Amino acid sequence: MRNLLRTIALSVALCAVPACASLEAPRFENPVEAGKTADQKAYALLASYAAVLEEATDLVRDPNVPVTVKRALVTAESAATPAAETLRIALVAYLRARADYEAIGPDRPPHERTVAAFAIAVVRLDEAFTAARGPLDQFAALAARKS
Amino acid sequence: MQTLIVQLQLLLAALGALLPLVPEKSRARIGELFDLAGQVLRVGDAAARQADDLAVKLATIRADVERMALDGQTLTPDRIDEAFERVRVASTAFRKAAEA
Repeated sequence: MRNLLRTIALSVALCAVPACASLEAPRFENPVEAGKTADQKAYALLASYAAVLEEATDLVRDPNVPVTVKRALVTAESAATPAAETLRIALVAYLRARADYEAIGPDRPPHERTVAAFAIAVVRLDEAFTAARGPLDQFAALAARKS
Repeated sequence: MQTLIVQLQLLLAALGALLPLVPEKSRARIGELFDLAGQVLRVGDAAARQADDLAVKLATIRADVERMALDGQTLTPDRIDEAFERVRVASTAFRKAAEA
């Protein structure tokens, strides 16, 4: 019996050797490090997160994946998606404010430019805070569930 | 990665054919171990498939971002909203799949 088991174990090892030798683990690129500016990096992060989520959906649908793995994915998604939405809101506010600043006429006096810049910041931040209320509420609900 | 898993699955199936040679008292135990190995391989196979797909998608996104960086392109709010729309669609599909 012992010899038979040893023979089986040896067969497994021998058969697995060529398979292991040909093993090529997939190489994951990091799109975020390719971005040079904050908006490019944020775009890369959002697009990468969407790709991860698409693959996670297939895993969750797969009946062979254990329930514990699926639960962990669900927990991660419930925290990460509101974070991604908050990033989008902040980024859009920043891009709109920057476009507004650039539109202020360079010939206007400094005090007028300062006042205009201040007004832009107030309007864009107010818009961002209003838009972020949804994802922030989701964070609060998540924290309340944990405590 | 998938090649390795397929080869191991084939190997497991081949070894399963040797089970009748094992003495009766140990057969059930070895059968259970084969079942367990089969389950692990099935999960590994699913994960490997997703990993391969993800690697391709990340490479595409990286190429896209590299092109933007090279052109010195500033993103518009619409482009950001478009990227987030993909997140929103994926999130909805994920939550629906998790509920099922």
